[in-house]
Amino acid sequence: MIHKILRKPQAVIGLLMMLTVFAVMVFAPAFAPNDPEKINIMQKFAEPSEKYPLGTDDMGRCIASRLIYGARVSMSAALPTIAAIAVISVLLATVCAYIGGIVDRLFVIVSDIFMALPPFLVAMTLVGLFESKALSIVISIAAAMWVWNAQVVRTYVIREKNKPYIITCRMSGCSQMRIIMRHIIPNIFPHLLVLYSTGLSGVIIMISGYAFLGLGFETGTPEWGAMLVGANKLVFSHPELIVYPGLCILFAAAGFNLFGEALRDICDPKEN
Amino acid sequence: MIKRIFSRLLVLAAVLFGVTLLTFFYTSLSPVDAAQALAVRRFARPTAEQVTQVRHELGLDQPLAKQYIAWLSKAVSGDFGNSYNTGKPIIDELSASMRPTLRLAALALLFTALLSIPLGVWSASGKGGFADKSIYLFGIVCMSVPNYWIGFMLMLAFAVNIPLFSIMGADDLKDFILPALAVAIPTSAANIRVFRSSLLDGYNSDFVMYARARGISEIKIAGMVSRYAFPPLVTLLGQSFGFTIAGSAMIEFVFSIQGIGSMLVTALGSRDTVTINACVLVIAVIFVAVNFLAEVINAVLDPKRHTKERAYDT
Repeated sequence: MIHKILRKPQAVIGLLMMLTVFAVMVFAPAFAPNDPEKINIMQKFAEPSEKYPLGTDDMGRCIASRLIYGARVSMSAALPTIAAIAVISVLLATVCAYIGGIVDRLFVIVSDIFMALPPFLVAMTLVGLFESKALSIVISIAAAMWVWNAQVVRTYVIREKNKPYIITCRMSGCSQMRIIMRHIIPNIFPHLLVLYSTGLSGVIIMISGYAFLGLGFETGTPEWGAMLVGANKLVFSHPELIVYPGLCILFAAAGFNLFGEALRDICDPKEN
Repeated sequence: MIKRIFSRLLVLAAVLFGVTLLTFFYTSLSPVDAAQALAVRRFARPTAEQVTQVRHELGLDQPLAKQYIAWLSKAVSGDFGNSYNTGKPIIDELSASMRPTLRLAALALLFTALLSIPLGVWSASGKGGFADKSIYLFGIVCMSVPNYWIGFMLMLAFAVNIPLFSIMGADDLKDFILPALAVAIPTSAANIRVFRSSLLDGYNSDFVMYARARGISEIKIAGMVSRYAFPPLVTLLGQSFGFTIAGSAMIEFVFSIQGIGSMLVTALGSRDTVTINACVLVIAVIFVAVNFLAEVINAVLDPKRHTKERAYDT
């Protein structure tokens, strides 16, 4: 598996981009030249210089530092969110699909109801529900997105559980728990990796959308979407301030997408 | 066929009922007391009695189940009550803000179809070639950026650098072209992929080989394949229409459109729960209705697949 990944250039590029994002996230204080939240009105819209590599924004804050810390803010919200989505969707979908029958039918009906509410709507109604802003983002996006992922996991489990080897397992007296944990989940694991790797890029984009609408983050947080708030006023004077944050989102999300898509080709060569 | 549509309609009614229940539950979770908020707005420094009075007026002192039934029985007839914020009937505000959003979504749907279908055909016909690979890469890039940022980029390109469009306000249909494109580009990126692979599936299947062996013309074969390949695309197009309406807030902010998205964000900001409930319900109804329409179109295109795909029928 690892061998196959390393032989596919697209996967390697995606992986390197992912690693870059993780490195920036962890070592943000070391990379950032200035304090990202320090306001300096005297230095409003400063030209790029030694002190400010990309110049400053309308509050005189260092743009380069804000972009670098943005990786930390986005990823530290996106990673727990995708983890929560993964746990909920795998748990519910695997159990329901494996048991089958009436439980599975019920699951389909319930998920139809949840799918009738578009994800953005659910997350928007729930955001701001909790004291901790970070927690409310994680919970609201997870509450909105789990069902779309659970549907996909369900089809994987159903496809897997009807394969002959599972039936053999059952005949030879494996416990249900063992079949699920030792056979079904490991076998659909590559597919899950694809699902949540591309899913993570979706979550990053969604989080930036919230920040852009001013939902969920403290004002002044160095977040890529938040840096675009009020950007309408800058289109004529400082278009570069709009371009940078978007490029950062593109880099982070594209890394996960490239890797996920390459992994998909490796998992099912036929589907290409 | 009629019977199938009817039974689906029943299920959809149940789904919509579940949606109202869920929305009501979600908004009631809110930590902010709507009665308190309104009392503050009305009396500046409300006494405890005034808050209680407002609470009674809004019916918020009733048990949640009773509130829900009262709200639902009115909502069914289109009466969503008055906004806590402005005091005006919500239904008026809703119909005013639905118009620009529906225009945006309809135009975006058109652009999505116009981008997805030809590009999907092009990349399937030149499978593995340069065009196919470029479309694939372009798709990944478009899927990796938020649509509101694409909006900004389009604005920079076609309103600032080459001033073809104005950036403020949205009155003419022309003002909706850039926002609709911004929505359509990332959506079509995903659609092209699906359409391409279902086209390839269609062309590689046995019925095409048999048709070729019988000497049927390629045009007729293309017709057969498209009946097979269109349903997944139709499903996605239906879904994206609903997503556009639900997620229109960001694009509306970029292009200063006063649509349902901005209405919902304002209501969320001030915890105007009745307005939130009404907006969510209307959006969900549209979402469900469009998805149902997509299902009906698919049933007409390819009756056999339809029975296979629904999970209830397996």
